[in-house]
Amino acid sequence: MSNLFNNLNAVTLASLEVGQHWYWEIGGLKLHGQVFLTSWFVIAVLVVASVLATQSIQRVPSGLQNFMEFGLEFIRDLAKTQIGEKEYRPWVPFVGTLFLFIFVSNWSGALVPWKLFEIPAGELAAPTNDINTTVALSLLTSLAYFYAGISKKGLGYFARYVEPTPVLLPINILEDFTKPLSLSFRLFGNILADELVVAVLVFLVPLIVPLPVMVLGLFTSAIQALIFATLAAAYIGEALEDHH
Amino acid sequence: METFLWLANAGSEVEEGFALNLDVFDTNLVNLAIIIGVLFYFGRGFIGGILSERRSKIETAIAQSEKRARGAKQALDEAKQNLAEAQKKADRLIADAKARAESVRETIEADSVREIARMKEAAEADLGADAERAERELRARAVALALEKVEGELSQRVDDSVRRQLVDRSISMIGG
Repeated sequence: MSNLFNNLNAVTLASLEVGQHWYWEIGGLKLHGQVFLTSWFVIAVLVVASVLATQSIQRVPSGLQNFMEFGLEFIRDLAKTQIGEKEYRPWVPFVGTLFLFIFVSNWSGALVPWKLFEIPAGELAAPTNDINTTVALSLLTSLAYFYAGISKKGLGYFARYVEPTPVLLPINILEDFTKPLSLSFRLFGNILADELVVAVLVFLVPLIVPLPVMVLGLFTSAIQALIFATLAAAYIGEALEDHH
Repeated sequence: METFLWLANAGSEVEEGFALNLDVFDTNLVNLAIIIGVLFYFGRGFIGGILSERRSKIETAIAQSEKRARGAKQALDEAKQNLAEAQKKADRLIADAKARAESVRETIEADSVREIARMKEAAEADLGADAERAERELRARAVALALEKVEGELSQRVDDSVRRQLVDRSISMIGG
């Protein structure tokens, strides 16, 4: 029985590969090739959509231009509420890039039938289900808010470590590490968990049953993109905030 | 646990290279197709509604601002016209004032010329009268002096015989 089960597993589980990567060796670095491929796909989708939307700009927007303007407005409002009317404008591109990249990545993982394509090792999936992607994004966020604070206040930025009292100095310093950590792990964990749940369910019952989980996955994916962008904007806003 | 071992093994056992996996169940194609279909079906209506609403909002905003721009342009034209009219009026007023000033100046000039002439005349008349009076006085004085002298001479030169002779001559003239 156990043997039979194992054989069954060997047949069906062959398509579920966790922790398997298609390594590209470049200059002594081991890169996860499948993540690059899907990232390029996501980037291409975004670039093509942007180019198409701005191809013939109308005064009264319609079609794709209207849709993209709607997205831009959404991102701008997000940045405005988190960073504040006065200083949000230079950060719209950064926050918008984070949101759009994460959102399209997540949804590409949930909607594109990546498993159609077999690659030498590992399998194609959302770029955000690899921890390297999310860590990169959250480290960029850390850089961004440090840059924002220091470029605005100079060395006075570090005064915030002893605000409101010097007793909180260790916690304030710790926060600079927990912020990127929580950002990256939240996104990575959610997306990977969602894709695993869907994959496992698809094993067990290939039809219909995974649908609710897939819909839920779409929902959480969108929410995760929103959360990441909102938190990044909030951190930047916090760094820019005047405290006395 | 065993399963995961198998997973790891399975991973390493996958044949190298690129390929298309056309197993419908393995690739979850049916569910993905359903999800994408549902997403398109409902998403199209939802997003379409939002987008058309946005579009119409933009259209009305543009129409409104265009209307306002037209109104403002009209008001500007009107104001410009008013300004031109006022300018014209001002020009006319200035011209009128200048003309009036000129005429007033001329009359004042003429008046003063006349006045000067009159004053000159009066002064000359005064001067003439003074000279005449002085002449008269001089003459009267000369007559008085002459008479005085004559009287003095007469009392010296006319004695009784002369007086008689005179009287006689006068009588003879009367008796004739």
